[in-house]
Amino acid sequence: MLFPTIDFAIFFLVVFTGSWLLRPHRLAWKLFILASSFFFYGYWFSERSNLPLASILAFTIIVNWAFGKATYNAMTPEGERTERSRWLVRAAVVVDLGVLAYFKYVNFFLSSFTERLSSIGVHVSDPTVSVLLPIGISFFTFQAISYVIDIGRGVWREPVPLLDFAVYLSFFAHLIAGPIVRASEFVPQLEAQPDPRFVQTSEAFMLIFRGLFKKVVISSYMATIVDPVFALPHGASRWEVLWAIYAYAIQIYADFSGYTDMAIGIALLLGIRFPQNFDAPYRSLSVQDFWRRWHMTLSRWLRDYLYIPLGGNRGSEWFTFRNLFLTMVIGGLWHGANWTFVVWGALQGGFLVAERIVKDKWAERGPIGLPSQLVRALQWLLTFNFICFAWVFFRAPNFSDATDVIGRLFSGGGSATLITPLLIIVVIAMLASQFVPERVPAQVTEKFAQLAPVLQILALGAGMVLIDALGPEGIAPFIYFQF
Amino acid sequence: MPAGLVLVIVVGALLLAMVGNADSTLRKSEGKPRNAEWRTEVAQKVASVSDFLHLTSPRTAVDEAMGRHAEAKPESIDDLLAQQQQAAAGDGGSTDTTVDLATLTPKLRTPTQAEPLKLWVGGDSVTETFGTSMVRISESTGLFKGILDFHVSTGLAVPSYFNWPEHLVKDVIPNDDPDIVVIMFGANDGQNIKTDDGKVLERFSPEWYTEYQSRVGKTMDLLRSPDNDRLVMWLGPPPMGPSTKTHGMDRISYAAWTESKSRPWVDYVDTWPFFSNADLQFVHSLPNADGEVRGMRQKDDIHMSTVGGDRLAWVVMADLGTHIDLAATKVPSPPLSQIAPPTVKERDEIPESVPGAI
Repeated sequence: MLFPTIDFAIFFLVVFTGSWLLRPHRLAWKLFILASSFFFYGYWFSERSNLPLASILAFTIIVNWAFGKATYNAMTPEGERTERSRWLVRAAVVVDLGVLAYFKYVNFFLSSFTERLSSIGVHVSDPTVSVLLPIGISFFTFQAISYVIDIGRGVWREPVPLLDFAVYLSFFAHLIAGPIVRASEFVPQLEAQPDPRFVQTSEAFMLIFRGLFKKVVISSYMATIVDPVFALPHGASRWEVLWAIYAYAIQIYADFSGYTDMAIGIALLLGIRFPQNFDAPYRSLSVQDFWRRWHMTLSRWLRDYLYIPLGGNRGSEWFTFRNLFLTMVIGGLWHGANWTFVVWGALQGGFLVAERIVKDKWAERGPIGLPSQLVRALQWLLTFNFICFAWVFFRAPNFSDATDVIGRLFSGGGSATLITPLLIIVVIAMLASQFVPERVPAQVTEKFAQLAPVLQILALGAGMVLIDALGPEGIAPFIYFQF
Repeated sequence: MPAGLVLVIVVGALLLAMVGNADSTLRKSEGKPRNAEWRTEVAQKVASVSDFLHLTSPRTAVDEAMGRHAEAKPESIDDLLAQQQQAAAGDGGSTDTTVDLATLTPKLRTPTQAEPLKLWVGGDSVTETFGTSMVRISESTGLFKGILDFHVSTGLAVPSYFNWPEHLVKDVIPNDDPDIVVIMFGANDGQNIKTDDGKVLERFSPEWYTEYQSRVGKTMDLLRSPDNDRLVMWLGPPPMGPSTKTHGMDRISYAAWTESKSRPWVDYVDTWPFFSNADLQFVHSLPNADGEVRGMRQKDDIHMSTVGGDRLAWVVMADLGTHIDLAATKVPSPPLSQIAPPTVKERDEIPESVPGAI
């Protein structure tokens, strides 16, 4: 069930009430949250007669908890790694990635393999198998891997109980599309006893409303140019293609950060705090800066569990570049079984490497005499346009369509009927919103908190009416659900 | 803030939003494909109470300010047909409905590179991939200018969600003025139909079929050009995967084929055999003329893959060749890797139902 639906509203009212009533009784509360989360997860499958797929989540929980426990037992009493503990961690990663690979990548690898065979003259019949991707698998698999690796590294001095681990991995607010929360951030909160007299409502309501607005209004509106242009690029003019690319940059930000805002706000209403996942990414002055602000929980996961194990920057400059590039390519592939994501990751990795090289050269060369404001503006312009360019590969269904879109930028004639003044205003306004100082939303939140409860009801109710009125009829699934 | 008070605020705000958005919620509920009936009933009751108490007024005001007519009822096909006949009479055309059908066979001019025919492709989301292929392949000949116009989750069953007949008459024909209309519906039509007089017809009941077939026929009538210079290619929906719950495509195909028989300006295209095995049962992957088996459908077993879209587009191109003289031009032969084997052909007769199909 999607967050901005009546179904979820009813579900959440039940969970909210039950959660705060049961919170003093830890065991009952955890069992209630676990049952609620599995109900939430199972709801995705019930309409498709694929409920057994929900068992993949249960399998991931049990297997990784068991690996975590075995890994801990294999370590020395002082918490030092042993050969056995290392192998257990590796085995856990192999199992997790094996399950992920089967559900997410089996057809990709099979079709890539047969295409390669075909290119050398060996023709085989279509080997694709019918596999339905269990929603959220990429997210909960990464969380499970981080838990076992953290035990193997000695971050956890003691494995958590199975129930705690199950609640951590399945908690409905982050289950489908993150943020990718670490056990060290989540599990201690299960033991805390938040005071039901002090629920952090203002911040939560503001986050939920900001998320709703971004998803229902902004993301949906951007689709009015993005969808037709990417569906049929050769029917669009160059200006339509250009604005569709910018609009997609806004759409995917509004969609994903909107989901995250809602997830963080919903968890906050239940007394659980998630880490931040977005920090005005389109104000970045470099691609490196962008990755510190975009999908931050994935970036740090890739850093801690991929980049550093690959060797990080503990070697020559070119060794670091290789690791950066590989991390981004694998990060790209994580998003989906398609060569377009590999290209997208490679572009990000390539630009990160190029950026480092250029920065080093510039540092040697010294100031070039341009005003710093102008330099910053140029850096922003370059970074934003590079990010937008890379999004083309992220959005296009295949490599050929992506090149078609880019080709139309240079050759597409015709009218620009899809570009409206409102579209331009919304794109620019959303970009400008990235530069709003943090104190402004904080002040709005504070003002809201000072309102009487009746006025809060009116404000929230009116807000929901307005958002529904501004949005289209019918909510599309969140873009990141497919990952 | 205490949790109890938070609950009061959340419930209060949700109730406020529920009554304020009651009409919108009802429209969405009615428009949802395969929607549970109880949802619509609840939404109907909430909307009745909210309207009676004028609680929907603020939302209506916002809709009106934005140019949306929340209260506007979809224009019925009968009204649209009547308007079209009046307009034809006003233009000096005939409103006589007893004309010789043979005279209604469309006469399309021979397209040239300088003056291509306008080929419009439309329908629901199943049309997206097929339409993309159709536009690409037809335009590659240089003889057609393609227009793709698909709308997700739409069909002929729920005009309150998207009114295709109105869209065709008021947007497509006046703005695009297509020479060839290629159109396909069905995937979203397996739901109850609410008639103009408010009666709800249970999906796939005999009354439902009568009404649906009537809508198909009237939509075909709306697409007829008074000058007989427009060809309508009505595509029956392909079979859907057994796990999709998208039922009745065989009956919907039969309805369209039946209606097309009495309308010379409509060419029914039988898509079914091109997406099924020899027993006419759904299959995900099929061999093309080069012998290689490829996936014809997307993972959901409803929408077509690009390969499936290409395969169907070539079928339509072949049918087009029976109406338009393409032989004189340099239309390239279709690649064997994109077309169905020659043994796969459209059926001469479409059965009322296909045994074993969902």
